[in-house]
Amino acid sequence: MNIGFINDSRQRLIISLGLHSAAIIAFQLSLMQLISIVQWHHFAYMIISVAMLGFGASGTLLALAREWLLKRSGWIVPLLITSSGMFMTIAFQLTRLEYFRFDVYLLFVERSQFPILAANYLIYFIPFFTGALAIGILFIKHTAQIGTYYFSNLLGSGLGGLLVLLLFGNVFPQQIPPIIGLLSVAAGLLGSTKKHISLNLVIGGVAVITAFMLIRTPGEVPVSQYKSLSRTMNLPDAEIVKRKADIHGLIEVVESPALRFAPALSLGFAGEVPVKKNVFVNADFYGVIPLFSKDQQTHILDHTTQALPWRMQNRYKVLMLNANAGAPLAHAFIHKPGQVDAVIANRGVVRMMQTDFANESGSLFLHENLNVYQVEPRNYLASKPPQGYDLIVLPQQDAFGGTAGINALQENYAMTLEAFDLMWKHLRPEGAIAVTTWLDYPSRTSLKLLATIVQTAHNNGITEPDKHIAAVRSWGNITFVLKKSPLSHQEVERIRTFCKEMFFDPLLLPGLQPEERQTYNMIGNEDFFHYVDGILAGKPAIIEDYGFMIHPATDDKPYFAQFLKLSQLRRLSETFGGEQLPFLELGYLIVIVTLVQSTILAIIFIILPLLRLRKSYRSKKGTLIYFATLGIGYMFVEIILIQRFVLYFGQPVYAISAVISTMLIASGAGSLLSGKLPATPKHPAIVGAIITFFLLGYTLFLTPILQGSIASTLPLKIIISLLLIGIPSFFKGMMFPLGIRFLSGYDATQVPWAWGINGSVSVISTSLAMLIAVEAGFRVVMGVAVMCYAIAFLVFSFHKLFFRKTHTRCHSRIVATALSRGLGTQNDRWHRTSNCEP
Amino acid sequence: MNKLNLFLATFLLAISHMALADEFERERNSMVRTQIQARGISDRATLNAMRTVPRHLYVPYAQRRNAYQDRPLPIGYGQTISQPYIVAYMTEIVRPKPDDIMLEIGTGSGYQAAVLAEIIDQVYTIEIVSPLGEQAKRKLEAQYGNVHVKIGDGYHGWAEHGPYDAIVVTAAAEYIPPPLVEQLKEGGRMIIPVGSPFQVQQLMLVEKKQDGGITTRSLMPVRFVPFERERE
Repeated sequence: MNIGFINDSRQRLIISLGLHSAAIIAFQLSLMQLISIVQWHHFAYMIISVAMLGFGASGTLLALAREWLLKRSGWIVPLLITSSGMFMTIAFQLTRLEYFRFDVYLLFVERSQFPILAANYLIYFIPFFTGALAIGILFIKHTAQIGTYYFSNLLGSGLGGLLVLLLFGNVFPQQIPPIIGLLSVAAGLLGSTKKHISLNLVIGGVAVITAFMLIRTPGEVPVSQYKSLSRTMNLPDAEIVKRKADIHGLIEVVESPALRFAPALSLGFAGEVPVKKNVFVNADFYGVIPLFSKDQQTHILDHTTQALPWRMQNRYKVLMLNANAGAPLAHAFIHKPGQVDAVIANRGVVRMMQTDFANESGSLFLHENLNVYQVEPRNYLASKPPQGYDLIVLPQQDAFGGTAGINALQENYAMTLEAFDLMWKHLRPEGAIAVTTWLDYPSRTSLKLLATIVQTAHNNGITEPDKHIAAVRSWGNITFVLKKSPLSHQEVERIRTFCKEMFFDPLLLPGLQPEERQTYNMIGNEDFFHYVDGILAGKPAIIEDYGFMIHPATDDKPYFAQFLKLSQLRRLSETFGGEQLPFLELGYLIVIVTLVQSTILAIIFIILPLLRLRKSYRSKKGTLIYFATLGIGYMFVEIILIQRFVLYFGQPVYAISAVISTMLIASGAGSLLSGKLPATPKHPAIVGAIITFFLLGYTLFLTPILQGSIASTLPLKIIISLLLIGIPSFFKGMMFPLGIRFLSGYDATQVPWAWGINGSVSVISTSLAMLIAVEAGFRVVMGVAVMCYAIAFLVFSFHKLFFRKTHTRCHSRIVATALSRGLGTQNDRWHRTSNCEP
Repeated sequence: MNKLNLFLATFLLAISHMALADEFERERNSMVRTQIQARGISDRATLNAMRTVPRHLYVPYAQRRNAYQDRPLPIGYGQTISQPYIVAYMTEIVRPKPDDIMLEIGTGSGYQAAVLAEIIDQVYTIEIVSPLGEQAKRKLEAQYGNVHVKIGDGYHGWAEHGPYDAIVVTAAAEYIPPPLVEQLKEGGRMIIPVGSPFQVQQLMLVEKKQDGGITTRSLMPVRFVPFERERE
């Protein structure tokens, strides 16, 4: 193909590789988004991780059929890239077909779901496999210029991340894969030679027509019947009245005459529960559109335990964290505060409330006493000087009937001890923190919340937390209030009156008698009170010995909704039955399943090429260790940086994209420069040492630097981020091409294997990092990353140990083989396998 | 010859149908013995009803072979049919008597209504998901003359037939509609399951006292014994 402005075929290939790499990463991210809507995000991650093992599988195939593929690379590479684009276009649409539709909830109760799941894996695997195979062939064919090709790959990947961000904000999620598919098709055509372009034109033509049809009429996303949006759409006359693509997710607003909002409403309430529209983000319930008017005297939430802090005393200056679509704000304004600061990270919802639903919500989001901050709560708390709030209200925790642990691995920096300490500093001396949770069974959220509150009081010099904490329980909710100063006698009496009026029971109150705790709502299980009292009394054994993880979350382990103790799995299974266990803590189990299945597949992909590499009588352990540690180290550092910069910028979507793109682009630059260095063992060793040194520094100084500059101006924060992310990434980008170039001189047959190892291990690393973070904390994840680069450094520092010719072992093995066949040692096989030195 | 073939086919069909019915009956009796009685349900009327109602007819065809297993089953539209033990437990706890009038919110498959209809005079049941309600209505009205199915929003209850001796809410919402409390007789009982699909560990009993006061009681069919207490 003769592209006027790019006549050089090498240049075309490099640009084609960049475009295709952009498409692959954009496809991965768009699939994550789509599967998160159809099912939920951990599950999306499970499917994608298996699909991404296409990289490992491509390495295996390359190792097994290296010569065949390289000889035909001129037409195979563009064909693979075009086909990958074609599959990207249709993959999601295929999974919408009745035959391939499955449900994660049913996975644990219907065996018939497993073949469907396997089919889904296969459908998503193909575009990754074909795409990765094309990249792998290019890398191996052009080992001498690997720096340039790797640069194109990383730069393309970085830009792909930014492209998908742009698409998220402007088109519906189901339209994104066909758009991205076109990018790969274009890359395939660009890389084609005149001689072999016809087949690509046919495939590309079909892909283009299909893509345009799918973009024009994208159809509905088939949301799981168990997701809240589907259940809501089953209600009479339910209708989606607003749908908006946003980078924070797909926002949908549903109207139905049967939609009402009154969480754990008092049984004494005899009025009408108002009908309200519901807001969903990625098909999960997000909040309700409040009906507000400035003359309003009462609010339905006044008949729930959430009214507790308002019944204790008047509040002037209030902070509402994660105030969703505004229902808690409408409730707050009934009590006439002088100033309400609302922190809502989802900018799409805020914009929608300020425009589309401004009239309906009585211009609540434009209230003269309201300030809306569109950042994550934690970022707001850390970046502002103490504000002297009378009340800080946290969003309601958990969900009615439990969440089956689907949020277990969602980092929540608003619910860590460090966040509560910051809240404490923002309170005026009489101020209070209020948080409500659904009651769950077995009790987890309520106990963890209490443990967090008690620990916060201790951390801030309160020796008798029982005098500062009030808690009220209804049939479904508990609201906790932690007051900076001791609760007054009047406040205690007001709480008692409130409970009596609403048929609620006080759970914690100074001077509370045991019999007061179950006047209206009998729990029938005294253990709960035993645990509540034990936690309040600060008995560490109570928390340690509980069957679930109820230790307060910290910034190092920010998983407030994670309750599963792996050591108790068997016991829980015996108590609740193996079939029901997944529905107690599904999220964490999914990650474990993901890790196990991707590890098994990765091992297969790593071991299979060894069948071929048996003929190579060069040591393979250096290759295995070096490329595996690079894969783990790179991903672990990426995960740590994402975690830290989400806190720093307060906008997860932007932070994640910025971290990934900066890392990839800086790594690409490093890769490009690495081409100028000779392929000796010295250079990977030096670069490995530099990275280890940097990362060691990060373990000590990264958090203080970020904490110290969190309140800086945005341009300064961007410069700091570019430096902190960019510098180590630049060096990290050198490691892979330097290693590959060395390897091609040492034993070229091991190059595809290295590509496969790196790809397989990178995929495992994501779930492995999460597991380590949950069990041991992010510090350990960082420690492992440092170790990985240190090992990579050692491999090349002592390269003679790891990369050596194994002729002695090789000789004896051949002798043994030959003898077993009754042949002499001078069998011609010796000569053919000339990697063995005589 | 054709007539003979037809006769043979009909005969074989009848035999296999009887064999299958026998098999389901055996499974049902085993279900009552091992899943329900063994866990402490002793109310004779409840046990008889559980032995009588063919649960396999109230689950989707593809789930029939699982009908008597000790777990909830999917019935479509994001709904489940409760585990047999939970149905029995909910039935026993509302203390049904033959002359009672009961309201069920969330007909679902119709199985709970069928069990109640075996014991009491009049069962009124409301289903909000139209296709589910229509399906259950056909089955229940063919089998029972004392079950009345309405398709609509359970929030408002069914005031014209109330007040009710008991209300069974099988599809719980995050609030208890005030009209339901209103339609409950003084001294009446309302039972509500709390849990995500496939996981019902907790039930709640709402009692309306003679003085109009309302209390709730958490009932836990599966008892989670905290480990630390065990060691004491």
